Amino acid sequence: MTTEVNSKVAMNRRQLLKAGLGGATMLSGLNLTVAFAETGDIVVGASQPMTGVFAFAGVALNQGLSDFCEWKNEKGGIGGRKLRYYSEDSGYKLDQSMSVFKKLVSLHQPPVFMGDSSGWAKAASQEVKETGKMLLSGPSFATDLADPQNVPYYFMAGPTWLAQLKMLFKFVVDSAKGANKPSVALVYSDTEFGRDPIVAGREYAKTIGLPIVLEVVTKAGAVDVSTEVARLRRAKPDFVIFHGHVLAPIPEFIKQMRESGMTARPLGTNWSMDKLNVDAMGDAADGWTGVMPHVYSYETKDAPMIAELNAFARKKRPDVGYLPMFYVYSWFVGSIFAEVLERCVRNGKPLDGANMRGALESIENWDSGGFVGLPISMKGHQTGMGRVYQYDKGSKLLKPISDWISIT
Amino acid sequence: MRIRDFKTSYENDEAIWQTPVARAWMAALVAGLLAFPFVAGGYLVNLACLLGIHIIATAGLNIMTGYTGLISLGHAAFMGVGCYTAAYLAHRGVPFYLTIPAAGVAAATIGIIVGIPSLRIKGLYLAIATLATQFLLVFVFQEWTSVTGGASGTIVPAARIGDFVFNTDLRMFYPIWICAAILLLGARNLFRTRVGRAFIAIRDKDISAQVLGINLLRYKLSSFAIATFYAGVAGALLAYYYRAMSPEYFTLQLSIFYLAAIIVGGLGSTLGSILGAVFMTLLPELLRGIVASIALWAPRSLEILSPLQQAVFGLIIIVFLIFEPHGMADIWRRIRRFFHLWPFRA
Repeated sequence: MTTEVNSKVAMNRRQLLKAGLGGATMLSGLNLTVAFAETGDIVVGASQPMTGVFAFAGVALNQGLSDFCEWKNEKGGIGGRKLRYYSEDSGYKLDQSMSVFKKLVSLHQPPVFMGDSSGWAKAASQEVKETGKMLLSGPSFATDLADPQNVPYYFMAGPTWLAQLKMLFKFVVDSAKGANKPSVALVYSDTEFGRDPIVAGREYAKTIGLPIVLEVVTKAGAVDVSTEVARLRRAKPDFVIFHGHVLAPIPEFIKQMRESGMTARPLGTNWSMDKLNVDAMGDAADGWTGVMPHVYSYETKDAPMIAELNAFARKKRPDVGYLPMFYVYSWFVGSIFAEVLERCVRNGKPLDGANMRGALESIENWDSGGFVGLPISMKGHQTGMGRVYQYDKGSKLLKPISDWISIT
Repeated sequence: MRIRDFKTSYENDEAIWQTPVARAWMAALVAGLLAFPFVAGGYLVNLACLLGIHIIATAGLNIMTGYTGLISLGHAAFMGVGCYTAAYLAHRGVPFYLTIPAAGVAAATIGIIVGIPSLRIKGLYLAIATLATQFLLVFVFQEWTSVTGGASGTIVPAARIGDFVFNTDLRMFYPIWICAAILLLGARNLFRTRVGRAFIAIRDKDISAQVLGINLLRYKLSSFAIATFYAGVAGALLAYYYRAMSPEYFTLQLSIFYLAAIIVGGLGSTLGSILGAVFMTLLPELLRGIVASIALWAPRSLEILSPLQQAVFGLIIIVFLIFEPHGMADIWRRIRRFFHLWPFRA
């Protein structure tokens, strides 16, 4: 009797497994069959970190590029050809991100692709360098990616992290009051993102005579920073520059710095500058200052593209409030993709790597529609400009406190 | 025993593939693998390449943990040693067919040093010692900039023989799977030798093994060396596959990935290493494929279902461990047993 019952259970389990496997295979197969049904459109591919440590950014990045493609199609597409957007979750893991990249490339042959990290950008660039068929972009501002010679098919819609650090150093020097030069402490995460601009930044600080009195390396998302704050207090810097973090441990640092009586001014690079994250710092946000590679979604004055972006997002997602900087960044990348594609299509050139690279490098004095306040040149495969913003506690907005600074 | 399967010699009794049917299946598998890149799309070839690398690393960890009972939480870091050794040598013009074994030897050398404490400690204590190695080696990868490229990582020149460059997935498929085949065959044979049996004796009861005359120092360090050699080779292949690597790849998470693979696949089984690596590599891809398919019809679902797929993956592992505690290798054994008697099964 028991055996019979067990065998029935086993049969059920096997049937369930079979059904599960069959269903899963069918569903994953659908993905492949649909691919054959499409023609004519220009595919925009993306591997976005919709899960993992940067999920909050990845979801907004994905929505941004997806919405941009829809908006562009409503405006007539690229020379009459529609943009078709395909993306999958990268999990912010190299294996997964590269698998998504290779999957979308083999299924849909996208001429343009947005990835998720420096690791992805470097690995994918190696491959694209050989095939010469695509143009890549992503949220990585790693210094060695803005190198048209060695990384010919990647661009970034901003200045490199090194350029941002230099802008902050310049801001520090310009902010100096009195005869004494101010001193700086660097706090950066123990990641590729965090360490990227440090060595060259250190050299640059030396050349402009800016003393770096302390460097603190933290874990990304560290919680206990009391030892590091004690070191900062002893070093007595006038400015503390954070790089390689998005949120934690910046609020904890600033809170403990204030509690210990430090008056040093905190500064940060672009990915720590989203309003939602700065809001989350609470009281520590007061006076938070940093570099942005483009305007915020609420800066619609003299920025027709930002107005369009807002109107489209609110039409598509009526319940949306503030549009994060990640969303704006994707629109910015999308705009550059579209400009490159349009230049190729207009001149009757096939959408291959060489033509798109040529089109990218031909972008000179280009009006981005208000993403940045100066005309853009993409010769160096980066927009190469930024502006310093400061958090205003009253309006709870980040407001510009400098003109646009161009490094190109 | 299979019907009409008579073993008439010791050679026959000791053969890996003992029956004509097993040999035919193996030949079919080899033929299938040789033809695979030409019939599969780019994405599937990419998955096959990744799978080959993960199988090699998993097989290495299974030798150390599954067969010898020495838990390691630093396997990913040993892959890193192999990766950076291959990259360093490749930059100096050493051909890939020499850098790959050299990477294995470099990882094995570090593995022997790390393995020395295993003479005094075992179980959880050894796990913590290897965990420390994981962090220590990643620190070295980040700081030894002149060799590793530091936190930004390193670009690896493509593998080549003369003018033939291994710069596509299709071309890398064969070196990866040739290495995987050689190393899996090596692992399978290892446990038919005195060395392999000594490993198993140590795992079952190291004191008893010593009483039986097994030199614990020699065999534990051998186990470390062999396992880390496998990790080093896997790391070198990874370097040639992606041609750009940074220390952020070789995380503790990756070490746990391999540990999970041998547990799900089956501890102390070469087949278990393969099945575990297949499970851990392909199941998330299958789940992601399902999510992507649903997203084609409902684009907004991507943001909701993507986090859900991770939960489902975790749940499947838990359910699997509850219902199949002996791993996938045991399921495979049951399937084989069924077909041994088929169609005369009662």
